[in-house]
Amino acid sequence: MISQDGVIAPPTFLGNEEQQQLAKEIFQLMVMQGALFAVDAPIRQTRSNLVQFLAEQKQIDPESLAAAIDAAILANPSVFAREEIEDDVVYITSRSGTYRPQTEDLSHMFKDRLYQPEKPLPIDDISVVVSTTRPALTTVEPVFISDYWQIQAGLVPVPRGVPTEGAEESESISAGQPSPETSLVSETPAFSASVEEAVVAEAAAEPEAVDAQESDLVAEPEVVRSATEIVVDGQVIDLAWPVEQLMASYGPLLERALLAAIDRDPLNQIVSFGRNVYPQASLVNLGKNDLRRIRDYILEVGEPLLDTTIIADLYYHNPRQADYEGFRFSLNYRLSREKDFDFVGVEGARLWSTKGLPIIGTKRVKASEMGQLTSYLEEGFDDSLESQSAEAIKESGSVSRLLTFFEWEYGVLPFDESLKALFPPLMLPDQRSAIFRIDVPQHYTSYLAEVRVPTGSRGGWLQGLEDFFREHLVPGALITLSRTEEPNVFVLQYEEAESSEDRLLTLDEKKNKLAFTNVTYYCVVDEDQLINQQRFGKLRNLKLFPMADRRKADLLLEHIFETVGDQLGNRSEPLYWIKLDDLYVAANVLRPFSKSYLRLLLNEDERYYADDSVADAYFYKPEQKPELLEEESYEEEIDDEEDYPSMRRGGRRFRDDDE
Amino acid sequence: MEAKLITYGETALDKLAQWLRSTGQPQDITSVTEQYLDLLRQLVVEDENND
Repeated sequence: MISQDGVIAPPTFLGNEEQQQLAKEIFQLMVMQGALFAVDAPIRQTRSNLVQFLAEQKQIDPESLAAAIDAAILANPSVFAREEIEDDVVYITSRSGTYRPQTEDLSHMFKDRLYQPEKPLPIDDISVVVSTTRPALTTVEPVFISDYWQIQAGLVPVPRGVPTEGAEESESISAGQPSPETSLVSETPAFSASVEEAVVAEAAAEPEAVDAQESDLVAEPEVVRSATEIVVDGQVIDLAWPVEQLMASYGPLLERALLAAIDRDPLNQIVSFGRNVYPQASLVNLGKNDLRRIRDYILEVGEPLLDTTIIADLYYHNPRQADYEGFRFSLNYRLSREKDFDFVGVEGARLWSTKGLPIIGTKRVKASEMGQLTSYLEEGFDDSLESQSAEAIKESGSVSRLLTFFEWEYGVLPFDESLKALFPPLMLPDQRSAIFRIDVPQHYTSYLAEVRVPTGSRGGWLQGLEDFFREHLVPGALITLSRTEEPNVFVLQYEEAESSEDRLLTLDEKKNKLAFTNVTYYCVVDEDQLINQQRFGKLRNLKLFPMADRRKADLLLEHIFETVGDQLGNRSEPLYWIKLDDLYVAANVLRPFSKSYLRLLLNEDERYYADDSVADAYFYKPEQKPELLEEESYEEEIDDEEDYPSMRRGGRRFRDDDE
Repeated sequence: MEAKLITYGETALDKLAQWLRSTGQPQDITSVTEQYLDLLRQLVVEDENND
């Protein structure tokens, strides 16, 4: 026994007086033997040693002494433990006066904790809990936490079908009383089971007049699934089905989920590029020198290059080599992880671009501005499929369209539904653009065009045809874009015609104004959309708003009415009139518009109203602006007969003297 | 293995990687998904049959 001040009190010995004395003597001997032991550490001594020592000291018979020692020890079981080994006996005690066998507490061992409760993770999932790598620099990185631990922490709801302790209980409780869901499952034939049907039936089975709060409190009973069903993104998949049946029913879902899981895998055992996957361990290592060579080569050629071209020209790999596809995948995967390289290809033509290549398309319109100017396409005002259905475009592989002034001037085509049907989809989920070669067989030339796909509310567009349009075509020309056998090569054609000369609208960039100039052209045009001075003479007065302001469609519309429309009122009460077709041509001088978008703008503003006597014609009755009346009277004095546009919002005015 | 212990995309991913290595070529996700389903089926269905 140990007192509070640390002094060890001797134990109390039992038995007769002789036994007590002998036990005490043995205890003292053993404590001396283990004087440097821990207080509770076991001190062992054999009976034969004790007999030999004490018999010599006391000069008595060893055999009788052995019996006496054994009797004294057995009389004090609280002080001594006794073990028999072979032909001897071992006595055990400790300095504290008692001996308790030490037990090792293994209940908190790491390996045990991983398996409690009942095997939460398979052994290969340890990596989702424990990082296998140590970063060279201490960085705060997102850590993937397995669904299991997130559910345990209550961070995510328990998905249907995931076993929980409560669910097991409810399953066992409800085992005797089949729920509606269980009967549904059991009655549904194995291969015709439709989850949608089950969901509909489940919804119908719910009582209608249940209080909302109550329905929240009453948890939906778990669907009792068979032993072969798993849940993938909320969809129950029965692994008892044949693989072909599973792929036919849930192929896209299963592929998407597997790709996502491969990307999430912290061990990175498998890597993906587009729709291809490859084991990480089999990747060919491409170092900094390789990347530098590839970048230099792309810059030397001056345009994006195919992966096959890079491999052939820099690595001399032959497609017939067994490791060719593996090397090709490695190259694509490596470049996709480098910020200096941009993937600008599509499935079947993996093009790589790098920093420093010449920009494709006009620099006069910024990408952010163009995205806003074409946002109406993503808002549902895309009428490009009125004349040609998407199916027809996909089948024929070509799209025809009339060039507007804006498209002709800047070499930009809004990426509407007709072009979406023609061009292949982008390959990577985070890809923003793709580059295509547009061949013009009529002139034996080709151009690089970049397709920027819509992102969010911003529209997409195709750019890079500025030079060709300006050189060979005029606004109103009919062009046809067609697919070729190469997924990244398209053909652009137009119908040639005898030379025609006309005074057409052009943009004088130096003076930053529109003007009519004599132009000779050799293409078939739609006369309604040909912007010549005879029909659209007033367009020279159109104000060239800064590109950033052109997203304000309502502002442009007012200005176009005032500039191009027929003035039917007077100066104090102006009233403008214009046909929708002319409005469409005029509006497309400043920015892309569709007719359906124009109709929306006209119908949602009460200052515009339709002319019932003429189809698709509109009036515009502007509000009176008293502060402008004085300005206009001043205008009258200096302008004589010229009908110049009224004061613009920007405060600027133009006088066109191009003629 | 019981189906409830299977996490799609995590369980047996090492075996899928092993199969991919054995093919020696990059594979399309469709064929990889088919192979993965086959692996899961072997884990679940055959286990059930053994029981």
